[in-house]
Amino acid sequence: MLAKRIQPMVSQARSLYVELMFQVMGRALQAVSEVDDAVKKETQALPAGFLFEMMVMPDGPRLIVEHTGLGRLHYHGDSAPRPVDLSIQFKHIAHAFLVLSFQEKTAVAFANDRMLVDGDISYAVRMTRILNRLESFILPRLIAERAVKEYPSDLHLPQKLISAVRIYLKVATNFVETVRA
Amino acid sequence: MTHKYYEFFCPVKVIAGKSALEHIPYELTGLAAKRPMIVTDKGVRAAGLLDPVIAACEESGLEIVTIYDDVPPDSSTTVVRDIAGIYRQEKCDSIIAVGGGSAIDTGKAVNILVSEGGDDIAKYSGAGVIKHPLKPFFVVPTTAGTGSEVTAVAVITDETKGVKLPFTSSFLLPNAAIIDPRMTLTLPPHITAATAMDAMTHAVEAFTCMAKNPLSDAYATAAVKKVSQSLLSVMDNPKDVDGRLEIAQASTMAGIAFSNSMVGLVHALGHATGAICHLPHGLCMSLYLPYVLEYNLETIREPLGDLLLPLEGPEVFSATPAARRAEASISALRKLRDQLHKRCQLPRTLKETGKVTEDQLDQIAEMALDDGAIMFNPKEVSLDDARAVLQRAWA
Repeated sequence: MLAKRIQPMVSQARSLYVELMFQVMGRALQAVSEVDDAVKKETQALPAGFLFEMMVMPDGPRLIVEHTGLGRLHYHGDSAPRPVDLSIQFKHIAHAFLVLSFQEKTAVAFANDRMLVDGDISYAVRMTRILNRLESFILPRLIAERAVKEYPSDLHLPQKLISAVRIYLKVATNFVETVRA
Repeated sequence: MTHKYYEFFCPVKVIAGKSALEHIPYELTGLAAKRPMIVTDKGVRAAGLLDPVIAACEESGLEIVTIYDDVPPDSSTTVVRDIAGIYRQEKCDSIIAVGGGSAIDTGKAVNILVSEGGDDIAKYSGAGVIKHPLKPFFVVPTTAGTGSEVTAVAVITDETKGVKLPFTSSFLLPNAAIIDPRMTLTLPPHITAATAMDAMTHAVEAFTCMAKNPLSDAYATAAVKKVSQSLLSVMDNPKDVDGRLEIAQASTMAGIAFSNSMVGLVHALGHATGAICHLPHGLCMSLYLPYVLEYNLETIREPLGDLLLPLEGPEVFSATPAARRAEASISALRKLRDQLHKRCQLPRTLKETGKVTEDQLDQIAEMALDDGAIMFNPKEVSLDDARAVLQRAWA
């Protein structure tokens, strides 16, 4: 009985968490493309104007970023200015929660068919590498190891800390700017 | 609570063994199909492989309405459109693809057009675009390796844009796969070896990569056992009907396994090498398999060790300490490659192919890194890692 009453609240909390994580990730993607040369290099292979979406099916939370050129990503929030070029779609909010709460690695989620790719697979592979790199920067190592297939061996604490601080500052600034606007 | 999850799907009716072709008329009739079209290539026709298929149908009063035998090795959107036109003109109601990967993929693509309508196959490209069951579609493989008869994927080249279009839908799966040993009896030795190693790689990667699951494991181990037990005897005695059937079944089983658990770095490197150096897919698989297993070793030690049983049999398995079984599995695969090299000069290194130059390795590594298969490799692969594997495979 109690479980039945709690269930809607749990669902709502899960949905809010996923939405919040998408907002953080979208802003963090923009930030990491300004901070990290490896991410810039990965992003440069995408066409300028390339729109990437990560969303929950059928019409759940989503994040949209655009490659504006020179390896820079721009976060568009949850609405795209035109049809997206690549969409990674979680089949259910529960699957998105598993990944975004670091209970399931992104690669495992792909292997478990939790997500669909609509668009060029090679770009999806590249975007996954960018997401992995971002998570390695912004998450404590113990949590990052749960999120990525392999924690990068060349990512040492000083570089991680400096980059993480810069990314979080940019994310916070972006949040404030959004609220003000 | 377990965190494991998997999906497994294979609705293809497998019709395998002696006189399997003679089941085609009954199976087609069961789907209310009376006017089949055969899609094949000139090589298959020249080898006389269509004759038993046509005879099997005619003996049962089923007329093959038309035969398209000009499928190129790399099928294109134009070819698909042309075949669909003939299908409509001849008022066919079903398709029988007879051949290797290209004829089968073409058959799948033609089936999309004639079922969904239109002339532009490109608009059905991608995953999950097709929403309805297609026309009755049978596949008769004439090579034993690709497993295309049980995969839900087709790749067709768009000549105008110069890109390969992928089509993914469970509706692409044929209604039946007919595995008849007569169809692979005349395969030349080097193609027999390369395609069988393709099947072996499908099975090994299905068993060791990230999306492995209990059902795909069962198919994968059975496929490994069949290839291990039969390949060399077929190489020594190409007319060995039983051996041919074992390899053909192994190919189908490996196809079922990998289409439900995906593949990894061997395929990523193989796809890139095929695109850049135009090496046959099966050869690439045979070439890279041991080097990639060595790269993945510490991540896949347990499943790779388990493969020693189907690879070498119970005596070797029980005599090998558990801690050494993974290495022994790699040795068994190397031994098999050496034997194939001895029998038909199947290259074991990139240098031995004579078609790859060392300065192409960087390009191969970069392309492999963006291949979808790399996502399912159990160990993360950086550009330097891919380069290192290629360097080891070089000579």
